[in-house]
Amino acid sequence: MADKDFRRLGLEVVAKAQKLGAEMAEAFLLNSRQLSIQVANQKVETMKLAEDRGLGIRVFRNNRLGFAFTSDLDALAIEKAINQALANCRYTEEDEFLTIAEKYSAYPELDLYDPQISDISVDEKIRLAKEIELKAKNYDSRIKITERAGYDDSQYEICIVNSQGLEAYYHGAYCGGYSLVVGEQDGDSQTGFGMQYEVKYKDLNPEKIGQEAAKRAVRLLGAKTVKSQKAPIVLEPYIATSFLSIISPTLSAEAVHKGKSFLANKINEKVASTLVTIIDDGRMPGRVSSAPFDGEGVPTGETVLIKDGVLQGYLHNTYTAKKDGVKSTGNGVRGSYRSTPEVGSTNFYLANGDISPEDLIKEVDRGLYVTDVMGMHTANPISGDFSLGASGIWIENGEFTYPVRGVAIAGNLKEFLLNIDRVANDLTFFVSKGSPTLRINNISISGS
Amino acid sequence: MEREKLKEILEIALAQGGDLAEIYIEERESTSISCESSKVERINSGIDLGAGIRVISGESTAYAFTNIVTEESLKEVANLVSKAVQGAKKDINLDFTTPKPLIDFDIELRPDKVKIEDKVAKVKECDQAARSVDEKIKQVSVGYGDVRQKVTIANSEGVFVEDERIRTRFVCNAIASDGNNIQTGYTSLGGTRGFELFKEREPSQLGLEAAKRALLMLEAQPSPSGKMPVVLASEAGGTMVHEACGHGLEADLAQKGLSVYAGKKGQKVASELVTVIDDATIPYKYGSFRYDDEGTIGQKTVLIKNGILEEYMYDKLTALKEGKKSTGNGRRESYQERPIPRMTNTYIAKGKDNPEEIIKSTKKGLLVKKMGGGQVNTTNGDYVFDVAEGYLIEDGEVTSAVKGATLTGNGPQTLQMVEMVGNDLGYAIGICGKEGQGVPVSDAQPTLKIKELIVGGTGGVGDKKIVRDFKIKRI
Repeated sequence: MADKDFRRLGLEVVAKAQKLGAEMAEAFLLNSRQLSIQVANQKVETMKLAEDRGLGIRVFRNNRLGFAFTSDLDALAIEKAINQALANCRYTEEDEFLTIAEKYSAYPELDLYDPQISDISVDEKIRLAKEIELKAKNYDSRIKITERAGYDDSQYEICIVNSQGLEAYYHGAYCGGYSLVVGEQDGDSQTGFGMQYEVKYKDLNPEKIGQEAAKRAVRLLGAKTVKSQKAPIVLEPYIATSFLSIISPTLSAEAVHKGKSFLANKINEKVASTLVTIIDDGRMPGRVSSAPFDGEGVPTGETVLIKDGVLQGYLHNTYTAKKDGVKSTGNGVRGSYRSTPEVGSTNFYLANGDISPEDLIKEVDRGLYVTDVMGMHTANPISGDFSLGASGIWIENGEFTYPVRGVAIAGNLKEFLLNIDRVANDLTFFVSKGSPTLRINNISISGS
Repeated sequence: MEREKLKEILEIALAQGGDLAEIYIEERESTSISCESSKVERINSGIDLGAGIRVISGESTAYAFTNIVTEESLKEVANLVSKAVQGAKKDINLDFTTPKPLIDFDIELRPDKVKIEDKVAKVKECDQAARSVDEKIKQVSVGYGDVRQKVTIANSEGVFVEDERIRTRFVCNAIASDGNNIQTGYTSLGGTRGFELFKEREPSQLGLEAAKRALLMLEAQPSPSGKMPVVLASEAGGTMVHEACGHGLEADLAQKGLSVYAGKKGQKVASELVTVIDDATIPYKYGSFRYDDEGTIGQKTVLIKNGILEEYMYDKLTALKEGKKSTGNGRRESYQERPIPRMTNTYIAKGKDNPEEIIKSTKKGLLVKKMGGGQVNTTNGDYVFDVAEGYLIEDGEVTSAVKGATLTGNGPQTLQMVEMVGNDLGYAIGICGKEGQGVPVSDAQPTLKIKELIVGGTGGVGDKKIVRDFKIKRI
């Protein structure tokens, strides 16, 4: 669908909703095309082509919100969705802070569409997927099984129109590759993955993706447990980002309002080590989660959440912002047209420190370099408690020694943030979360 | 879409050869209501219409979907798919016949015929019941959801199925705090039913139970850790069976050598007290259906019989690879996904022991009354799950409540260590995630005594990877 067709449809939906009784209305339109190719043993196992489009409509009446969506863009289906949204808003709670975005004069200019992603042939993309698998397999003879290796891309266009006169549109694309392999040795088997998602096709590096997976799979082969002890742990960037995935929801104003964040009521207080600065930046150049505006049409921007260990503020959408008397930070995030815009993170990262990861490890007398954790989804964002299965590599006198598995690391996210005593300078993004290597002091490691 | 048109589309899909072509058309209408802070914050409705076309040729699969369900658009998609896989041309059968299902569901109160205000009333009833229990209940969130899904499935083996699935679910989460400590309690209810689901249990009961569980955990002492005997009460739900062996018995993982149960058909993989069954034909359960998402009838499959591995769960693709028939486990989240082997309602069969006797026989151990979510690494069978409600057993008596326990173990080892099996059976519902696709399931088990599991710590686990993880989320 072209830009002008999308806008016209959005305007029609908003006008229709107002005619049927909405005081305020907002139409969110999405159209996307996706390709995914999965290979195993140098053959295409699955090729998937997807075309997804639809409309999400929010209507407001008497300070009440109703929502409906439809993937059927026939006039009749759209009218049905509008009526459903209006019916739904008869029974939701009245709330004076419910609102939609005002009209903005300008949005950040971002280079989000690489025409190469659509121009490159499917055959060439298949070749790239096969190359990823080959690089993983050839890296080490212990790599026995490819669970999956593949290439994905997506091209999309998004349009938001609302009854405040807001009309916003952009289109973008991204592509990525991944590999998931199993290494085997003496009856032990370990899995490893590598992935890379980019805005520019030419930035994809199949060799790196494949080798990363292979390295991860073989480095833990023959792992053993260690004695229970208190010692520092070093988190490689991927593991640090899985901690950030649990921390980011606690920085949403919505979680704070509902008493579901351990960081509630702590603005201007020290909540982390002075080495810690955490930022959400929805308009970071070259990142696949970047966009000129959020799911409500509010311009994205950089929000410093924790600066040198001190909490600065929270992430907002228009609703939480109005409630707190502040401006939306452009964090009204939508999963698709099927859901309402809720407070969420965009590119969420812990900023670089000034030590290299190699030097950081050299400083560790005795500790665990954590490369894998299990059970992260059971960490409690309210109390902050976590207990995880972990594996990694033991560090002795600043050197990697043997692989470790079968240990548990337990603690609390509050202490986790305060006890970060080294931040390296190797910030690495895994899709939308980024972190450098981190060292946390004095963690209970339970083993044998 | 008319049958003749579907035949034309299947022919286009196989124009360049292939073993099987299939069309899946889905129309899904859904309603969800969420309530937090005693406010009904969201009422969302949706219409999702789309169609997917798949061609299998040898080891390769091509799949494409579109939201534009017209003859023209589907022919275009079929053409696209046909070009993506090429193979020998096979005889195709387009004499559409509809297999007769083993089960039927009578829906008494179709969700589209129930007024929104009646659905909202159930949500509020639950919220108020939970809040009335104690001042320490600081937050309650309640969710209601119903789905009406109409599917048309046709394939080049001559299968033609039209089906309607209606599911309803309800969940309550209560948060209790005494100022220092915060604990949560949840309850859920769900089934392949309409609004009559609430005849099974009233929303107020669900609210009370969630609140009481949160309060109980507030008073609980920290869980001991270490290896100890564990009794899993029947009402604890079946997270253990789901994680310890369910995923590893899905044929795709077994065929790829990604399951600890691979190549073990006919071998003893569990105590002889253990029989594991996957059954899509149990009336009204959350994972039940007449037909799976490939048009195969839902059926009952004995996976492990008296400790011996009998069968894996197959979809058409994995069945084709072994020259056998699908066990009716080909499921997909929506028209946007290709089907893969999935569980339906998975359970350990009842045994002979009296549940009370099982507890009495335990000198010192942990009683699990409610399990939370879990995760498994199918490659080596290591799993982990949370205990949402647990107690100590001392000298055969249930004593104090404990909080924060996680159980970790290894699937085959745990099944070998089952010492007693109760004569009761309790179910839990969940959304099971695999390769990013969530499907409704239920799982169940009798009261079980396991010789020893690792409680609290996570010794024994620790090697899994992240991208492929099989989690069951309790909803």
